[in-house]
Amino acid sequence: MANTVIGNTIVIDGEITGEEDLTIRGTIKGRIALSASLYVENSGTIEADIETENVDISGSVTGNISASDKVELKSDGRMVGDIKAPRILIADGAVFKGNVDMDR
Amino acid sequence: MDNDMTVIGDSVTIRGNLSGEEDLHVLGRVEGSVDLDSTLVVAESGIIKAEVSVKNAIISGVVVGNVHASESIELTREGRMVGDISSPRVIIVDGASFRGNVDMGDIENMPERPPARERPAPRPRPVVKKDEPAPEPEADEPEVEAPDLEEAEDVTEEVAVPKKKTVTRPAAKAKAKAKEKPAKKKPSFLEPPKAKGLPKKKKRVVVKRK
Repeated sequence: MANTVIGNTIVIDGEITGEEDLTIRGTIKGRIALSASLYVENSGTIEADIETENVDISGSVTGNISASDKVELKSDGRMVGDIKAPRILIADGAVFKGNVDMDR
Repeated sequence: MDNDMTVIGDSVTIRGNLSGEEDLHVLGRVEGSVDLDSTLVVAESGIIKAEVSVKNAIISGVVVGNVHASESIELTREGRMVGDISSPRVIIVDGASFRGNVDMGDIENMPERPPARERPAPRPRPVVKKDEPAPEPEADEPEVEAPDLEEAEDVTEEVAVPKKKTVTRPAAKAKAKAKEKPAKKKPSFLEPPKAKGLPKKKKRVVVKRK
């Protein structure tokens, strides 16, 4: 299975669904629904509601996240929105504003 | 991950508008519109149901929708397309499936240009008669002898001269003539050029760099 990478000059305005890992270096607006892991890299900008298994954020996310396993906000990650996941990790240096719900 | 292009894996579906300035490799599904300033490659597993506007397009999967390629579009053997093509260069390979319109722009004023993949036409070389090789090495002699004298002093000229030096030797002259004749009879573009053999090593002033 190819690893899906959205490069940093790509802008997607719409909905992404899939069953494999997704690495985002570009801009996504809309909705993301994956049954695998989502990696938002430094240059990635997401303005979307996210529903996945895992999320790793090193970029900028504006939107609600609903993860079935874990959400990780790395030290250069920025997030505005609600997080709903059983496991949450916010590293020192991350910027976050929103609600956190760890109950399922 | 050192990818210079965007890859959309085979289980990913994108519904919406996609735009960008880098190459896009689609192995999954894209619905909506694709607007790139570079190359779109649709792999065999790729399905695109969108209006496509790119620079180059190489389609080996399924495309349903109009494609506008400002440079070229290629439908490979596994490619299937339904929709209109608008591009100055269109390549449809044997085995591809296509249904739609093709518009290459203003055909009347299309500039002459050689097809990219074809090799340049071989230049026909004149068949050399037996008389001709004789004057040639003789004409070379006076030109070559002058640098010979300067050989010891000037290192740089040795690099340019070696080939001519083998011809000046009396023993080598006969060999050169004999070799030249059979080589020139056959049109050179049909056979790979015969190796002339390694030039004999001369005394070289080797400057070792410390």
